[in-house]
Amino acid sequence: MNLRKPGFLAAIALFALLFTSCIKDAPLNPEADIDSFIVDKKYLSGDVFIDQANAKVLLYLKKNAYDSGIVPRIVVTPGATINPPAGDTLRFDSTSLQQYTVTSQSGKYHKVYTIEVVNIGTWAWDFEQWVIQPTSKYLYPIEPDSSQIWSSGNPGVSLAGVPKDPAAYPLRDTTEAYHGNYSAVLETRGGTTLSGIMGIKLFAGSLYLGVFDSKYAITQPLAATQFGQPYLGRAARFTGYYKYNPGATYQNKAGKPVPGVIDSCSIYAVLYRGTTRLDGTNIHTSDRIVAVAQLPDGSARGNFTRFDLPFVYKPNAITSGSMMMAIVISSSQNGDKYEGAIGSRLLVDSLKIIHE
Amino acid sequence: MNRIYKRLTVLFLIISVAGSLRAQDSTTTFKPFLEHRIIAGFNFGGTAPVGLPNTIRAIKGYWPEFTPALGYELSLRATRKWGAAVGVKLDFKGMGTKDEVMYFPTVITVKDGSSTGTFEGTFTGKNKTIVRNAYVTFPVSAVFTPNDNWRFSLGGYFSWKFSSNFYGTVSDGYIRNGGPTGEKIIVDEASFDFGRDVRKFDAGLQGGAERRVGKRLSVIGNLSWGLKPVFPNEFKGLDFPLYNIYMMLGVSYKI
Repeated sequence: MNLRKPGFLAAIALFALLFTSCIKDAPLNPEADIDSFIVDKKYLSGDVFIDQANAKVLLYLKKNAYDSGIVPRIVVTPGATINPPAGDTLRFDSTSLQQYTVTSQSGKYHKVYTIEVVNIGTWAWDFEQWVIQPTSKYLYPIEPDSSQIWSSGNPGVSLAGVPKDPAAYPLRDTTEAYHGNYSAVLETRGGTTLSGIMGIKLFAGSLYLGVFDSKYAITQPLAATQFGQPYLGRAARFTGYYKYNPGATYQNKAGKPVPGVIDSCSIYAVLYRGTTRLDGTNIHTSDRIVAVAQLPDGSARGNFTRFDLPFVYKPNAITSGSMMMAIVISSSQNGDKYEGAIGSRLLVDSLKIIHE
Repeated sequence: MNRIYKRLTVLFLIISVAGSLRAQDSTTTFKPFLEHRIIAGFNFGGTAPVGLPNTIRAIKGYWPEFTPALGYELSLRATRKWGAAVGVKLDFKGMGTKDEVMYFPTVITVKDGSSTGTFEGTFTGKNKTIVRNAYVTFPVSAVFTPNDNWRFSLGGYFSWKFSSNFYGTVSDGYIRNGGPTGEKIIVDEASFDFGRDVRKFDAGLQGGAERRVGKRLSVIGNLSWGLKPVFPNEFKGLDFPLYNIYMMLGVSYKI
């Protein structure tokens, strides 16, 4: 048989063309990140954290930094430019907003980073002020000076395609308060179709002192929840009020109901050494842990109930040098393993760390 | 859609012109007659963009899926050389591809019960996509038969999709939540499935050539070029349209 006909050859050549060539020039880089923000360790009480979701550089400074200012070394996305230039000294003697504008190589995108100096004055929280994340629409509590020291799993949940509505997220505010007008409510929610693909059938409500590193949200979710804020000295007690109602049906990681198991909440504080945060993978096991204060019984409480937990120090614990304090609260105790009961609802208010 | 109707109208004009040419041939004793054919073959090609967008940086692999085509064609030889044909066929169109993309925009709609959410972002990394769609196709053609050995056809087709697969993985890269300035999230491997979003109908142009190799048997090659994007306009999983562009290679048997 004879197929040597121009039509066939032309068609085959056309496919070859469509699928092998026609690769156009690479697009100019549209990204405009501050990839790293390097500050001399002697100025830091905690590692610098770049909150990429909210375009903030969080600095935890020692007193000497306020006196001398710092000259950060800033690395941006290849091809991008930064203004003011990275070599300039950052001073902290005024309250004016300090911002860096990064412009992408393509020139089309700008990202404005705000420098936020985190300084925890009082280790007590009433969760009265909440702000809404502009793009994903989840809530997070802020301090009276507007700085952000609490985080949650909400930034991770936002990647699962939940509706862009504060009520769709596990952590939000509620007027059902013990003290003041608001308290924090943590509610265990069902996963989405998209999270199900990743094997996540449940999102426990969480609230913790620390930051959420989105980079690891999919590959290593437990490493994304980074617990702790710089702390000075020894803590004596962790106190507060909570109210808890476990959801109806406890489910395992596969999403299958487990009869006879009732969900419980978890509330604890961990004091540890160092300036680098512990995360969901090592918050219970790290040898840097100095002391732990933990709610012993996470069962249901119909009304706001006070807790007063002593910090139990490890024998011979060293409490000098740089320390960090983590508070970790979850509406499902095994939420880090994606187990719990959908609908488990935990309210917390008037939390306090009492210094020794 | 209008464009397709216009093209189909043009096609019918061709067919009627072909019919009117009969008059010239009728000096000899030609009588119009019907022919029936069974057509079987495989579709090779792609569900592909026409011109690759610059977000696709490299094609690392391409393979055809198991995509048979089986159908029946009824043709009317109106004159000695001209005629028209209609057909119906079971038409599988599919392929697999591996590629590398950069800053590739995607919007994934997530429906859970009554709530609808979206995830929007730009992905940089590796992609593997497998497409396998099954259609019932109705081709309509003008047919030119210059001699006993060759037969050429040109026309349009209309397809109804009865099953669709469009799935794959993204890996070894990162996605940015919301767009290029959103936070970067590392992706080692994640799967996607847009099968449910594939449009119910497809329509386009088709044409081919047939070479007789036996008393009733011919080999056939037929190119079909979809003019409707396989995803509806409201679908934002990919930011460029894909078209079904397939070459069927097979045999036809005159019955």
